[in-house]
Amino acid sequence: MYDLCRDADAINEQLARYGVKFGIYKNGVFKEQLFPFDAIPRVIDADEFAYLERGLKQRVTALNCFLADIYTDKKIVKDGVIPPEFIYSSSGYLAQCEGVRTPRGIASHISGIDLVQAKDGTWYVLEDNLRVPSGASYPLIARELCRRASPATFREMKIEDNRNYAELLKHVMDYVNTGGDNVIMTPGRYNAAFFEHSYLAEKTGAALVTGSNLFVENDMLYYLDYNGKKQRVGALYRRVSDEYLDPMNFLPESVIGVPHLFDVFRKGNVAILNAPGNGVADDKGIYYFVPKMVKYYLGEDCITHNAPTYLPYYEEDRKYVLDRFDDIVIKDVAEAGGYGVVFGSKLTRREKEDMIALIKNEPRRFIAQDVIDFIDIDIMENGERTPRKADLRAFVLADGDVSVWKSGLTRFSRNPDSFIVNSSQGGGFKDTWVLSR
Amino acid sequence: MGIITVEKADHLYWLGRYSERVYTTLKLYCDGYDSMIDLDDNYYKKICELLDIPNIYSSKEDFITRYGYDKGDPNSILSNLLRAYDNAIVMRDEIGTETLAYIQMAVYGLEAAAASHAPMMRIQKVVDNLLAFWGCVDDQIDGRCVRGVMKFGKRVERLDLYLRFRRGQSELHRGYMRLVPRAKESGMPYNVEALEKLKGIIDAPVVDYDAALVQLGQILNV
Repeated sequence: MYDLCRDADAINEQLARYGVKFGIYKNGVFKEQLFPFDAIPRVIDADEFAYLERGLKQRVTALNCFLADIYTDKKIVKDGVIPPEFIYSSSGYLAQCEGVRTPRGIASHISGIDLVQAKDGTWYVLEDNLRVPSGASYPLIARELCRRASPATFREMKIEDNRNYAELLKHVMDYVNTGGDNVIMTPGRYNAAFFEHSYLAEKTGAALVTGSNLFVENDMLYYLDYNGKKQRVGALYRRVSDEYLDPMNFLPESVIGVPHLFDVFRKGNVAILNAPGNGVADDKGIYYFVPKMVKYYLGEDCITHNAPTYLPYYEEDRKYVLDRFDDIVIKDVAEAGGYGVVFGSKLTRREKEDMIALIKNEPRRFIAQDVIDFIDIDIMENGERTPRKADLRAFVLADGDVSVWKSGLTRFSRNPDSFIVNSSQGGGFKDTWVLSR
Repeated sequence: MGIITVEKADHLYWLGRYSERVYTTLKLYCDGYDSMIDLDDNYYKKICELLDIPNIYSSKEDFITRYGYDKGDPNSILSNLLRAYDNAIVMRDEIGTETLAYIQMAVYGLEAAAASHAPMMRIQKVVDNLLAFWGCVDDQIDGRCVRGVMKFGKRVERLDLYLRFRRGQSELHRGYMRLVPRAKESGMPYNVEALEKLKGIIDAPVVDYDAALVQLGQILNV
C-alpha cells in the first residue's frame, strides 16, 4: 500500500497517458479533464461484500421484476403497493414501452447502485441507476496500473481481481443477443463518458458506433462496413439516453438516434442494453418503494437499506420535511449527476421559503432524506492523509444470473466541505478492493 | 475487429495522414528553426511557400510560435496534431489504448514544448512518440484492414508533402513505390487511373509537381 501512495503521481501520469478523462462543458465550451485518481483504495472485506452482494442481487432482481411488470400487467399498481401517479408522472416512464417484452426478460442488464456507509457501518443505497450508469472503466484501468506500481501489494493481500468486467459485460451482451454483432452506441466523442464507451468497446470486442452508423431495414438493425456490406446488430449497448434513441418514436429533434430503432426492439429483433423505459424504476420517487418491491415480487425482506426517505406527496411525510427542514437533504427527482440536491441547512431564509413553496406546489417533484453522516475515507493531499466524503457505485450485471462485480467505483469529494462526489463537480476516484478472505 | 464502418475507415485514413503531416513538418520546422538562429531570418517564408500555406506571420519569432503551437492557426503543427488526435480518440476500440497513448503523449509533448524555454529539446519527444505510434500500429493492431487504411493515409501524405517540397525523383519514386501496395492492402476503393497517371508524371524526365499533386488528390475519387 505504501508503494501505491508513493507512486500515485506516476499512476496519474499513466492515466493521463491512456487518456482516462471525462468531458465537461463549461460556458458552452467542451473540455476534456483528467479524472483525479487517489491511490488509497476503499477496502471491503469478504464478509461485508458477501452481505452487499446478497442485497444488491436481490435489489436488482426485484427492479427487473418491476420493469417487466410495470410495462405489462402492472400488478404492483393494481395491488396498491405503488400509487399510479408515481408511475405515470415519472419522466422515466415511457408509454411507448407498454406491452414490450425485452429479450430474455431482462430490462436492467447493467445497474449502477450508489451506496454510502454510515459511521455505524450500515450501508445505505442512495440511488439506483438503471439507464446508462457509467464509471466501471475507471477502476478497471486503474487496477491495471496499480498492479504495475505495487506488485507486492497484490501478491500479499488477497484482493479479488476486478479485470474481468469486460468479460462479464460481453457475456451479458452475448446472452441477450438476438443474432448479429454486439455494438456499443455512443453519442460521440463530446459525450462526458466517451472514454468509457471507447474503452469498453476495445475490451469487449464490440463495435463502437454512433447513431449515424446504424440504420433499420426490414425490421432489423444494421451498420455498414467500409466495403458497403450490411452487418446485423444483435445486441446494442447504448450509451445514449432514451429520449434521443429514435426520433420516430421519441424526441423528433434527436440527431444522434436511429429512426425506427425502437420498432426493431419492440419486435424482439435486437436487444437494447439497458432497455428503454428503465427510468421509471430509478426515479428518485420510485426509489422509496424499492423495499416494498422486494417484498412484493420476491416475498423477502429487503436486505439493502434505503436512506431514510420522505415523500412530500404523503401528508405525513410532508409535515416531517417541513418540520425538520434544516436537517434534511432535498432532491429534485428530475435531476441527476449531483444537481438538484439541496441541503436545508445551507439555504438562506429567502431560498428556504422559496423551496418550501415549491415543495407544497409540486410535492411529487421532490424527495427528502435524512442527512446520513457517512464515513470519510482518507485521500492523499499534499503528501498527507486527509479525510473526504466518498460513495461507492457498485455494478450489478444481469444475464441468466445476477452478479455483482467484485469492485466498484469509489468517488470522493475533493472539497472538504462537500458531500457531492460527482466527477462533473470536481470529484476524484479510487479503486475499490474486495478482499477474498 | 474484422469489420469497420465507412466512418471509421475515414477516421483511420486521416489519422494516418495527419500523424504523417506532423512528423514530416516537424522535421522541416526544426531545420527552419536552426536556420533562423543565425543564418536566414526569412527562412520561414520559404517554408510557407513549400507548404503552400498563407504567410500570416510577421516575423521569424511569430512564425516559430504560431506555426508551431497556435491552436488558432489552422495550419500550425499543433492544429494538425490535434486533428490526428481527434481522429485517433474515436478509434480506441480499433487501434487500442496502447497505440492511442502515443498520439496522446505527442500532444502533451508539443504542449510542453510550447511552454518550454528550449522547445527544440522537447520536440524530440514528440517525434519519438510519433515513431513509437507507428511501431505500435505494427506490433499491436491485428486487423489488417485497420493497419492498411492508416498506412495508406500515411503514404498518401508523405508523397503529397514530398511533391510540395519539390523533392527529387528518387525520393518521389520511393514514396510512390511505398504507396501502391498500401493502396491495395487498405481494401479501400481507390482511383487506379489517377495512380497510374501519377506514375507517368513522376517517371517523366521533368516532373510536373503540380500535375502530380492533382492526380494524388484524386486518389479516393472513384
